[in-house]
Amino acid sequence: MLTLLRDLRRLRRHLDLAPPERAASLAIRHVDAGSCNGCQHELTLLSSPYYDLQRFGLGIVASPRHADVLLVTGAVTSRMHEPLLVAYAAMPEPRRVAALGDCALGCNVLGTADTIVGPVDTILPVDLRIPGCPPTPEVIAHALLGLISPLPVAADDPRRP
Amino acid sequence: MIEESYREEIAAARAEGWRFAGLHATSDGARVRTLLADQAGATRLETVVAHEGAVPSIVDLFPAAGWDEREAHDLQGVDFAGHEPLRPLVDHDLRVERWAVPVRGHDTYQVAVGPIHAGIIESGHFRLHVVGERIIHLDLRLFYKHRGLERAAEGHTLDEGLAYASRACAACAVANGVAYAHACEDALGLTPHSELARVRTILLELERMWNHLNDLAAVCSGVGLAAGNQHFAGLTERARRLNAKLTGHRFLFGAVRVGRSEITLHRDDVCAAADEVTALRSEARRGWRELRFNRSFQDRLPDIGVVDAAAATRLGAVGPAARAAGLGDDLRASSPRLAYAGFEPARPERAAGDVQARTEQRAVELEQTFEILERLLDGRIGPATATLGAPGQPIGIGRVESPRGATSCIVERRDDRIERLRLRTGSYANWPVVAYAAADNLLPDFPLINKSFELCYACADR
Repeated sequence: MLTLLRDLRRLRRHLDLAPPERAASLAIRHVDAGSCNGCQHELTLLSSPYYDLQRFGLGIVASPRHADVLLVTGAVTSRMHEPLLVAYAAMPEPRRVAALGDCALGCNVLGTADTIVGPVDTILPVDLRIPGCPPTPEVIAHALLGLISPLPVAADDPRRP
Repeated sequence: MIEESYREEIAAARAEGWRFAGLHATSDGARVRTLLADQAGATRLETVVAHEGAVPSIVDLFPAAGWDEREAHDLQGVDFAGHEPLRPLVDHDLRVERWAVPVRGHDTYQVAVGPIHAGIIESGHFRLHVVGERIIHLDLRLFYKHRGLERAAEGHTLDEGLAYASRACAACAVANGVAYAHACEDALGLTPHSELARVRTILLELERMWNHLNDLAAVCSGVGLAAGNQHFAGLTERARRLNAKLTGHRFLFGAVRVGRSEITLHRDDVCAAADEVTALRSEARRGWRELRFNRSFQDRLPDIGVVDAAAATRLGAVGPAARAAGLGDDLRASSPRLAYAGFEPARPERAAGDVQARTEQRAVELEQTFEILERLLDGRIGPATATLGAPGQPIGIGRVESPRGATSCIVERRDDRIERLRLRTGSYANWPVVAYAAADNLLPDFPLINKSFELCYACADR
């Protein structure tokens, strides 16, 4: 196992990812409302060594009660309509909703009229739209980081531009 | 076929070694068709006409037909005489006792999980019946993501229908797409040119490569071994970057076409891809060696989630799950439309059908995949076509070995329009096997057992 850990350390040194510029954190609750699983697979890789989103304070939490953001993938199916509303209702304020991927935004959705309720913004107030089929981990990371305000800099800080 | 002879025909076929490969009803529910396949890759379709909305059930002959019959009842309104009780599957009945098996006795209780899971996981509901920590029975309620894709495809042209089959699932987009393309080409009487067979085989193996790497990462995460998870997650990322480099899409979307291929790659790009495959091979080997000799990892795997050869056969298990139980089934060994000449199914050293065997099966199959890719990624890739070699038929059948097992696609057409599309994926075949594997294990082991199958919800729900 030490070999793998050493390899990972080397990979991280080689990738030389930028240090965090923001000093906040964001707890994300993901809900799959009827996706093809592409968005989930890209989302999963956000925690791989190539992106390591945890270093920015971004984390997936197990309950909507712990979440700042509800991240929804897929066109909302008739069967996921209710569970999606329940998850949203369980979130504390302030809460935000992000629609991830073209299906969640209502673009090029495949399905029948009676199985698809509609894009996420017909059901919940959407604050962040992340287009793509599926969006790449870079695009997802960039969009999510936009929800965290940059590190505040004091007026007398010499680093202030 | 009249009703009585249908069951006799199926029973006789079963005695001759034919196996169940899918069942569907026509859109109007007037006919039910059963797809049978033999070990050599031959298929046959048995059709029975519904009498007053009912046909005889074959679930006693082939338990693997259980889900197919329940689905045909929910979606096309066909009754299956002899299938008792015919529980709802795609339909979501609110009354638990309608869709779950009643479990009675001292101290039994239910654990309800989902449809929303605690992580980045697709939506579906597991109803675990438990005594203490021991799972007595598991009822699956999927189809939360049912988008009606098969029905939505009806009336579209054969070319347009490809999106409905391939986009049922991102993880199996190529396998589903090639199965659909094969079904259309079978119906149109087209035979793929050898270059078309080569391109599709490359795409199928690229898909298998990232999926198997992803599955190993998933098992590591199920055990709680972060270093192993990160190693294989990193390799998954590299495999997807390779997909994007070769086809412009990380999941190879749009790479499969009906009757042709439009991918053009210069010799140097193909050569660079082969080099990356070789690099991934050596990295995957290093990772696997670490996992093999890691006691705390290996101690978690054996003797849980056992599906032995007899159970795998009875339940109609497919893919790595079936091979890990010692069955030699792999459609790649009998795919004349693809470039798998000389392929032989791989089996793990200890084909015990448990979590350990299924995990090792991925590693063993990855070696084969790397080998096939290194062999086929040689020389430029150019546009390819299929040639007219046989008379057209109203129904076409395509079968492909996806990363999760045999995927069957049936296209019923009128001229160039789809009358009925049926996609039965490896995940669809294996979900009931997961339920079987979970029984008699400890509740905390269920996530790991589930990850050792790593099935898609999307291509089961469609």
